[in-house]
Amino acid sequence: MDRNKISKWLKEPGKMSQKYSLSVVYFCTGCGIIEIPPVITARWDAERFGVIPVASARHANLFMVTGYVSLKTLKAIIRTYEQMPEPKYVVGFGSCPINGGMYWDSYNTIKHLDKYIPVDGWIAGCMPRPEAIIIGVTHLWTLIDKGMAKGYVKYRKKYKYFRQNQEKLLGKLPWQPAFSTGDNNE
Amino acid sequence: MNESLTSEIHNTFKNTKCSIIGDNRLLIKTENEVIAALLKFLKDKNFNRLAMVSCVDWIKRETFEIIYIVASFCIENPLNIIIKTEISRKKPEINTIIDIFENAEPYEREIHELFGVNVIGHPRLIPLLLEREYKIPPLRKDFDMRKYSKELFDSIPFIGDKK
Repeated sequence: MDRNKISKWLKEPGKMSQKYSLSVVYFCTGCGIIEIPPVITARWDAERFGVIPVASARHANLFMVTGYVSLKTLKAIIRTYEQMPEPKYVVGFGSCPINGGMYWDSYNTIKHLDKYIPVDGWIAGCMPRPEAIIIGVTHLWTLIDKGMAKGYVKYRKKYKYFRQNQEKLLGKLPWQPAFSTGDNNE
Repeated sequence: MNESLTSEIHNTFKNTKCSIIGDNRLLIKTENEVIAALLKFLKDKNFNRLAMVSCVDWIKRETFEIIYIVASFCIENPLNIIIKTEISRKKPEINTIIDIFENAEPYEREIHELFGVNVIGHPRLIPLLLEREYKIPPLRKDFDMRKYSKELFDSIPFIGDKK
């Protein structure tokens, strides 16, 4: 353990331990998933940074959406996101979840992922290098430290608007609302 | 072997054109009505693998081109046969070939969904790929993709921190 950070550990142990043990659910939506195996295995070994893949979304606290999101995938993404325990962070990987990327005029690819679920960070590029994932993780540490990675709080507070957007695109959703759809949830 | 096969096809089916278009590739252009009989004939000749059923929209010619590819596992004569047929764009209808090749089922559903071609005799033409309903099937050439995506996706608002 870094001796300089001992005071930090004593002050905010919860935050520090979240930061250094990110369990990731890699959501293989598109071509981005091809960058993930080198990152989590020996070559770039993301476990040095405390990043470890888990099998179930119910054990994870970092959600990585790798690649373009079609309408059918969006349904699965929302369900996965709502099953994750809080605190949870979302990172969009590649340029397609940011603004559509090369599928900007497609009939079946949603353009902006952050209209439907809150996204804490983006990794731009088509494709980003495996190093970019590691840099993205260190940036996420900074955000968690400063208390800026609050996407899950926003989702709870503004659930009404997120649900409206989701239903506008997908029609009536077959599952119950995760939070109350009142104006201001706390 | 190939020549005897082509001459046999010519003799059995009228209005059929065969041409060899490369190594181990045989192109057959025929009418829509004889497709089932032709596929059955080829299946009896040991071409028992249906590789693909596909569709092309030729908007200027006002036709849909349906393409079937059948292949043989026979080592002495490894031949891919490409069968092309054209149907009218105004009333697009094909007959199902599930009773000959069972694996045509998802391909026909896909064609029905993305091109709006009606498949007669198909047991379940339920949605396979698409999530929404479209007025014009989305892979037709007169479907304006840019206009559609602009109208649909840009109408959904961003969720700011203040609202």
